[in-house]
Amino acid sequence: MRKNRLYILVIIAFVIGVGYSAFHKWSVDHVLYITGGVDHPIGCVSCHVYPERDGLLANMLNEDYLSPLNAAVSEDGSRLYVIAQDADLLIEVDLNSREVLSNTKVGRRPHSAILTRDQKTAVVTNQWANNIYFIDLKTKEITDSVPVGGGPAGMDLSVDGNLLYVANTYTNNISVVDLRTKQEIRRLHGGNYPTSVAASPNDDFVFVASQRTVPIEFRTEPMTEVTILNASSQRVSERKYFNSAHIMENVTVSPSGDMAVATMVRPKNNVPSAQIERGWMINHGIGVILKDGRTAQLLLDEPNAFYPDPYDIVIHPDGKRAYVSHSGVDMVSVVNLDRIRSLLADASEEELKLYANHLGMSGEFVVDRIKTGSNPKGLAMSADGKFVYVVERMEDRVSVIDTDVSEIVNTIDLGGPSRISYTRRGGQLFSNAGHTFHNQYSCYTCHPDGHEDGLTYDLTGSGRNLANVQTLRDLYGTAPFKWIGTNQSVYKQCGMRFSRFVTRTESFSPEDLDAVVAYIMRELTHPPNIHRLPNGALTEAQQRGKAIYERTVTNDGREIPEKDRCTTCHNGPNYSNFQMADVGTNKENEDESLFDSPNLNNIYESAPYLHDGSAATLEEIWTKFNDHDTHGYANDMTKDQLNDLVEYLKSLSAERYYKKDLNYKINKGQL
Amino acid sequence: MMNARNTYTVSGLIITAVLLFGFTRPNGNESKEEKKSESMPLYGNWKTYGKKDGLPSDKIYAVRADGDRLWVGTNQGLALLEDGVWTVYTEEDGLAHRGVLAIDVSPVTGDVWIATMSGLNRFSGGKFETFTQFNSGLANDVIYSVICDGKDVWVATGGGAGVLDTYTGKWGIYTEQNAPMHEPWTYSICAGGNKIFIAAWGGGVIEWNKETQRFRDYTDPDGEMEIDLFPDDGVVHDITTAVSYSNDMLWVATYFGMSTYDGTHWKGYFDHDSGLASNFINFIRAKDGIAFMCTDNGLSSFNGETWVTYKGGKVIIDGNSAGERSLDATSSISHDFTIGVDLTENEIWVATSKGLCRGEVIGSTETKTSKL
Repeated sequence: MRKNRLYILVIIAFVIGVGYSAFHKWSVDHVLYITGGVDHPIGCVSCHVYPERDGLLANMLNEDYLSPLNAAVSEDGSRLYVIAQDADLLIEVDLNSREVLSNTKVGRRPHSAILTRDQKTAVVTNQWANNIYFIDLKTKEITDSVPVGGGPAGMDLSVDGNLLYVANTYTNNISVVDLRTKQEIRRLHGGNYPTSVAASPNDDFVFVASQRTVPIEFRTEPMTEVTILNASSQRVSERKYFNSAHIMENVTVSPSGDMAVATMVRPKNNVPSAQIERGWMINHGIGVILKDGRTAQLLLDEPNAFYPDPYDIVIHPDGKRAYVSHSGVDMVSVVNLDRIRSLLADASEEELKLYANHLGMSGEFVVDRIKTGSNPKGLAMSADGKFVYVVERMEDRVSVIDTDVSEIVNTIDLGGPSRISYTRRGGQLFSNAGHTFHNQYSCYTCHPDGHEDGLTYDLTGSGRNLANVQTLRDLYGTAPFKWIGTNQSVYKQCGMRFSRFVTRTESFSPEDLDAVVAYIMRELTHPPNIHRLPNGALTEAQQRGKAIYERTVTNDGREIPEKDRCTTCHNGPNYSNFQMADVGTNKENEDESLFDSPNLNNIYESAPYLHDGSAATLEEIWTKFNDHDTHGYANDMTKDQLNDLVEYLKSLSAERYYKKDLNYKINKGQL
Repeated sequence: MMNARNTYTVSGLIITAVLLFGFTRPNGNESKEEKKSESMPLYGNWKTYGKKDGLPSDKIYAVRADGDRLWVGTNQGLALLEDGVWTVYTEEDGLAHRGVLAIDVSPVTGDVWIATMSGLNRFSGGKFETFTQFNSGLANDVIYSVICDGKDVWVATGGGAGVLDTYTGKWGIYTEQNAPMHEPWTYSICAGGNKIFIAAWGGGVIEWNKETQRFRDYTDPDGEMEIDLFPDDGVVHDITTAVSYSNDMLWVATYFGMSTYDGTHWKGYFDHDSGLASNFINFIRAKDGIAFMCTDNGLSSFNGETWVTYKGGKVIIDGNSAGERSLDATSSISHDFTIGVDLTENEIWVATSKGLCRGEVIGSTETKTSKL
C-alpha cells in the first residue's frame, strides 16, 4: 500500500514536472513571440492584467486621474479655473491659499475654459460633446449649453466681449457665438484640426491655429494653416500656411498686436529617419505672423538638446517675454520677444528660411528654461504678469512660476490620486521624449492625443517605403501591428523596433515597456463618432452604404467573388480580419509587400489613407487606386453608391461608444 | 385605317382648337399674386471690359457681384475686380479649371464658390480648395450652376444635382435614380420659399421641399412638343436652362420661352407674344421682383408688366399700357449673345460672348431719360 502511494506520488511529480516544463517552454516561446524574440522578463500580468479596461483587478490597479489640460485665471488674480480632462471637471482654485474650492461637473472631455469680461461666467468647451457650457461662477451651475461644431477646443473673446470664437477640431471649422443671445451666428471653414484661437487686442484680426497639415500632394511637405478672421466682418480674411510645420497647438497675440505667435513642430517626414543623429527628424519651435503679413519659423531647440512638443504659449503684459510649455521634456522656455522683433525686422526671405532650420538660433532669444513637473500643458498668465500658472497634466498639479525670478515658487495640488499606477507611469513615458536621441521627440509627437499626425514617414531609411502613421486609439485586440504586419504585439512595436528605427537610443526598461504598453492599450480611445446619430442608428445614406458594404452581387446581378467583398477583410467589431492582403496599392518604387487590413472604427478621422498615405480622401481609395477592383469589387458602383459607401464607412464605430453612452466614465474601464 | 394613336392626335387637335378660339387668353395682370415693381429701371452708359482691360478673355460665362467686389467667370479663368484692379486666377493658383461657368458668394461666410468645367472650388481667405468627383462626393466635375443656401452649397452638374453640408462635409446626390428627373443632366439651381428648384434637362423643374424633405416635379403638360400647345398650363418646355426666385415668384428659362410660377399659376412668355428678346434663354436672374433674361439675341428684363430689352444697339420698351417703343442708345451691350447677369444697387453687369458689360441706372420706364 505504501509502495503504491509512492508510485502515485512519483507519477504526480513526473506529470507536474513535465507539465511545468512544457508550460514553461510554451510560455517562454509565447513571450519571445510577443516581444519579438528579445530577452525580456515579461510576466503574464504585463499583457493580461495591466492593459485590461474593466474588472476587479483593473479597477484595483488603476486610478481615476484628473489629467488637467488648460486653465484660465481671473482678472483679479484670486482664482484659477482648471479643466480636468479625464474627470470632466472644472476645478476652481483659490490662488491665495492654493486650495481647491470647488469641482464642477462639465460635459464630456472638456478642453478649455475662458472667463467672460464681467468675470461672472466661465465658458467651457466640451470636446466630446460638441457643445459649450456656460457656468455661473457664483452658483457653479450650468446656465446654458450651446451646440457648436465637432470637437470644440480652444476659444477666445472679441475685444468687446460680445462674441466668442470657438475652434471646432473634428469638423474643421470655427464657430462664432453671440454671447448676448447665446446663439451660434456663423460657422467658418478653418484649417485641418483647428485647436486654438487668439483675438488681437487691436480688434482687427482673430487667429486660429491648426494641428494637422492641409491636404497636400503625395510626398510633399506638410503645410499647416493659421486662419485669420476679420474681426469686424467675422469672415476669413486670409489663410497663412506654415510650410514644413504642423501641430500648431496654441496661438496668442502680443499685447500691442504686432505679432501672433503659435507653437509648432517641424517634421522632416520625407527624410529617411537615419538622419535622426543630425537633428533632422523633428524640430520644435514657434511660428510668427508679423503685422506686415510676413511669417517666420524659429526653433526653440538647441544643437544637442531638443525641446519637443511645445504646447501652449503666453505673453507677458509688457510684451517682451513669452513663455512656452514643452510637454515632451517637462520644461518651460522663456523667450525674449524684443530680440525676435529685431531679428525679424530686417530679415530677408533667405534669412527667414535659414532661421526655420537653424538649431543655433535659439541661443539668441531663449533666455531661460524652467524645469516643471510631468507633461506641462496649458499656461495661464496673471493679469499683472507676475505669475505664470503651468498645468502639469500627468501630475494632476499646477506649478506657479514667478516671472521676476523665472522660477517655480509654488505648486498647487488639484486633488488627484497620490498613487502612480502602471498606466499613469506609461502615460508619463508616452508623453516624454527622454527615451529618444537628444530628447528629439516623444510618442506624442507623432501620435498627438494618442491618434496620428496625418503624415507619412520614411522610417526604414531606405527612401522607398513610406509609412502612413496609424492611430494608437483602441488597439486592444487588433494585432498584428505595422502596415506590413510584422509586429505581433505592441511590446514588439514599442520595444526593440522603437529603439532601432525610431529613437536611436537604448530600449525602454522592461518595467517602462510594461507601463507604456499598458497606457496605450488601456487609456487611448477614439472620441465618439461624429458621423453617427446619437442613438447609434444609421442615417438613410449610411443604411444604403451598409447594404453596398455587405453586398455579394454586383449591380448587374453577378456574384462577387468572396475575396473581393468588403466584409471578407473588414469584418468583426473592428472591421478587420487582421490578415495580410494584396489590394494592389504597392507602388513600383516600393519593396513588394502584403499589407495588414486596417481596422476601420472612426476611420473618418485618419486621412490620408492607404499604407503610404497616397489617397487623400476615402473616395480616392476607389476613384484613384482601384483600377482593377483589387481593393474590393467597386468599379460597377455609381457615384451616389460610392457616396453612400463612404457615408457608411465614416459611421463605423465600436458599439460600446454609443450603447453605454450615459454611463460613460473615463478610466472606469467601461470602454 | 385610323389607329388608336391617330385617334388621340385628332382629338387633341380638336380640343386645342376649342381652347385657342373659345377662350380668351388671360393677360399678365390677371395672374394671382404676380408681384410688380412700379417701374422698370433703364440702364445706359454702357462700358465693356475685356482682355484689353485685364480680363483673361473676352468670352464671359458668369458674373457675380459681392459687395464692393465683382467676380467674373470666363473661358480662360476667374477674374476679380476690386478697387478698380483686375486680378486673374487660373489653374496655377488652384482653380479647378479655367472654364468658370457659375459663381456664388455665401452671405454668411463670405466664401466664394466657383463652378468650373472640371470641379468645384471654394475660395476662402485667398486660397482655393478643390472638390472633384474623385476626391469628394461631388456628383460630376462639369458644374453648370452653384448656389449657397445657408450652410448648404447646391450644385447642378452633368451627373445630377448635389448638395454639400459645409458643417459636416456630407454630400447628397440627386439623379433620376432618387428624384423625379428625366436624366441626371442638370443646368441650374436656385433657392426660395424654403425650397430648392432645379432646372433639369428634359425634366422641367424639380422642386425640393426643405421642410418635407420631398421632391416633386413640374413638367410641360404638352410633352416634348416644341410649341406651347395649351397656354399657361405649366412650364413651357421640359428642357429648362435656368431658374431664379424672387418675391415669391419662380422664373424658369428654357430654350423655347420663359415661364413664371407663383405657387399656383404658371404663365408662359415667348418672343412672338411678349417683349422677350428670344425664346433661346441661357440664363435668368430675378431680383426684387424684376427678372433679367440672358438670351442669344439680347438681354431682356421684365417685372410682370413691362419689358425692357437691350439688343442691337437699342433699348426696346414694351409695356402693356405703353405699347412698344424703341429708343436709340449712344452705348449698348457689346454683343447680343448674353449668358450671365448680376446687379448691384445702381449698376448691371452682363456677361456676353464678346466682353463684360457694365451699365448704370440712368432712369426708369416712367421717368424716362434723355441719356440713352
